[in-house]
Amino acid sequence: MALISDRDRETISTRFTESLTGDVQIIMFTEHESPIIIPGKEPCETCAQTQELLEEVASLSDKLTLTVHDIAAAKDEAKALGIDRVPSFVFKGASRGQVRFFGIPSGYEFSALIADLVDVSNGTTDLSEETRKYLSELTEDVNIKVFTTPT
Amino acid sequence: MAVESQYVTADVIEAMEFPDLSRRYAVRGVPKIVINETTEFVGALPETQYLDHVRKAVEGNGKQETESNKE
Repeated sequence: MALISDRDRETISTRFTESLTGDVQIIMFTEHESPIIIPGKEPCETCAQTQELLEEVASLSDKLTLTVHDIAAAKDEAKALGIDRVPSFVFKGASRGQVRFFGIPSGYEFSALIADLVDVSNGTTDLSEETRKYLSELTEDVNIKVFTTPT
Repeated sequence: MAVESQYVTADVIEAMEFPDLSRRYAVRGVPKIVINETTEFVGALPETQYLDHVRKAVEGNGKQETESNKE
């Protein structure tokens, strides 16, 4: 059964058709289920579902592609992107900085995911001129962490 | 904001899935925003106020604010 309902699928697909201008690659890091139980190490409970969700999102526009890495096998790629846990994913497109998601993007995070995909595709945001001017003049690193919950 | 500047990295973190991070950043309510490990606030703010927090963090004035928030 699909994770995104037919109705939402249609809404998102229309939004993508209207708003996506550039290609976006979604790079996901996951952990494949291991037959070996390692004491003290929790299995990734949301990795499979996150991948399924991203596959469904990517299928809604031909401007979107999804690349999935196993974090154990792609240590260098993960390190370069500052990824140290799963499930996680980043967008590669027209964004100047980096947007990273950690955990399954459900609930509020799902709308954020769709909105971010549009912004990264276009390389623009609907932020005010003042904010954009400030950001364009930044010369040092800024990290913003946003904690959310599914509801 | 990350879309607009190469210097900005934005992390969207599912708090329930990563209790270690939620503990480290004392997440009690969401959305909780932490900028440069120093400036933090809870709740959705109007863009101008959000930007003020980013400014404070960049200027290095965030530390004090974090401490006063914890009281």
